[in-house]
Amino acid sequence: MTVKSIRNPDLSVKIGNIKLENPVIVASGTFGFGEEYEDFLNLNHLGAIIPKGISLKPMVGNPPPRIFETEGGILNSIGLQNPGFEDFFNHKLPYFENIKTHLIINFFGNTQKEYIKLARCFNEVPGISGLEMNISCPNVERGGMAFCSEPKIVYRLVHAVRKSTKLTLIVKLSPNVTDIASIAKSAEEGGADAVSLINTFKAMAINVHSKKPELGNVIGGLSGPAIKPIALRMVWEVSQVVKIPVIGMGGIMKAEDAIEFILVGASAVQIGTANLINPRTGIEVIQGIRRYLVQNKIQRIQKLIGLFKN
Amino acid sequence: MALEIDGIVLRNRRIKSLYYVLEIYCPPVATTIQPGQFIMLKISGSYDPFLRRPFSVYKSYSASHREKKKRGRLLILYKKVGKGTQRMTEFMKGQQVNIIGPLGKGFSLPPLPSSANIILVGGGVGIVSLYPLAAALKLGKLFVLIGGRTMDDILCEEDFRKLNSTVFVATEDGSLGFKGTVLDLFLSQQKTFKANPSRYLYACGPAEMLNELAKTVKFKEFTCQVSLEARMGCGFGACWGCVVKTIDPKVPYQRVCKEGPVFNLMDIAWE
Repeated sequence: MTVKSIRNPDLSVKIGNIKLENPVIVASGTFGFGEEYEDFLNLNHLGAIIPKGISLKPMVGNPPPRIFETEGGILNSIGLQNPGFEDFFNHKLPYFENIKTHLIINFFGNTQKEYIKLARCFNEVPGISGLEMNISCPNVERGGMAFCSEPKIVYRLVHAVRKSTKLTLIVKLSPNVTDIASIAKSAEEGGADAVSLINTFKAMAINVHSKKPELGNVIGGLSGPAIKPIALRMVWEVSQVVKIPVIGMGGIMKAEDAIEFILVGASAVQIGTANLINPRTGIEVIQGIRRYLVQNKIQRIQKLIGLFKN
Repeated sequence: MALEIDGIVLRNRRIKSLYYVLEIYCPPVATTIQPGQFIMLKISGSYDPFLRRPFSVYKSYSASHREKKKRGRLLILYKKVGKGTQRMTEFMKGQQVNIIGPLGKGFSLPPLPSSANIILVGGGVGIVSLYPLAAALKLGKLFVLIGGRTMDDILCEEDFRKLNSTVFVATEDGSLGFKGTVLDLFLSQQKTFKANPSRYLYACGPAEMLNELAKTVKFKEFTCQVSLEARMGCGFGACWGCVVKTIDPKVPYQRVCKEGPVFNLMDIAWE
């Protein structure tokens, strides 16, 4: 018996209360505030857009050089430069009024109070579909140790933010931890609707001629295809221990990369570094996933999620 | 509007020592690019080198240029210095190359009508980005100061001479023209430049050179624009990787690719 051929596979997925037309999201920090990409693609075709991370107050960022190319990747130390909530609300948010694509806001704080305050602020803003909490930043109240590094602290922080917003809450996880699965579990227990992973790997490079670091901040984050196999392993580990949707990212350059993440359990994927080199990557990944489903006679992408079981 | 578009390599030849000229057929970009703007060139289809490379344009000919043969051509003069430019020397005639451009904010031309002294100062390959500006100038008295380490690093001299300008050359080893840096040369000629009350200075070169220039030039005496170089992630303003420190107290770090690459000399927080 032959399977009926498929013309228009269903690419839609659900993350919390957000119904995405397709599982391709553009990652925070690599997509500016959306408008930087309008010359290159129709933003309405993306699953969701996550603009640059927002803090309560403006942040000036790190001294240059902020970027350095490595084998199959880049090191960056932008330092979360952003205009702060108020300026974002007044000057960046209006651009999204004419864009149908879901807008997910990435935000972060230096203290638990700041996270809560921001979550409350965004809760009142119309046009936002969800929030993505960056928990990779240093916790000022705990000697600068990252929020993400201890399950208990993650639970407490996520729980507090959960109570401050009705929006879909995604927790973005750092790979710079001993056991990412237990952190993901804490985020789930704290009330997260989804987890996204991974953020960049802490890394550095030295110039042997000047004998100095290539980055002004000495240490930065590594992203790009160089990290993809590790990211994939982490997404797989997390997918096995949480029931909430997992959003996978880390070095996705093409549709096949995205499909790998989906096969190990990601309900959606984020495109990061690739946007910088090929601004149309997001669109090409969507087209590639669609083609793959047609070729493999799969009607709904949901059938693909976590298909690989050990 | 910036485009992400394929061009075709027409020619790629060495002009002297480590310097090459790449000619690309890409009418949409060649027609719209303005002096001081740049393009991001994809070097490899693989991930090595991973990022695109920014290049200012040496010459561009619009799709309606009077010489039919030149129409739609974009010329890049580059120096073979690293992995990216090494790969570029291997580009073959007929090969497709992907371009994003035109990008960034270019030079502002002096207000017209003008009988001003217009002084261009270029160090090394930096002189290249000043050529389209010189070619676009309609009026004024043009002085061009070209500097390099040796005579092999002196670029575009003939091009500028054809523009009816006064060309000065400086080499650090004295192998051609004035012996010293292009800034030493500038200082030695300052009197000539200052003879005219209206004067505009444009400069491009290594960061150290521009830093020295900022120390040398009295801002009141010259209106000065500089074109900066920086390592870039995207080239179109998304990643904030290419920033330079400015005197803006609110947003000190601004993007070379978006707010620049051309800045007013006095707006940069020089060391």
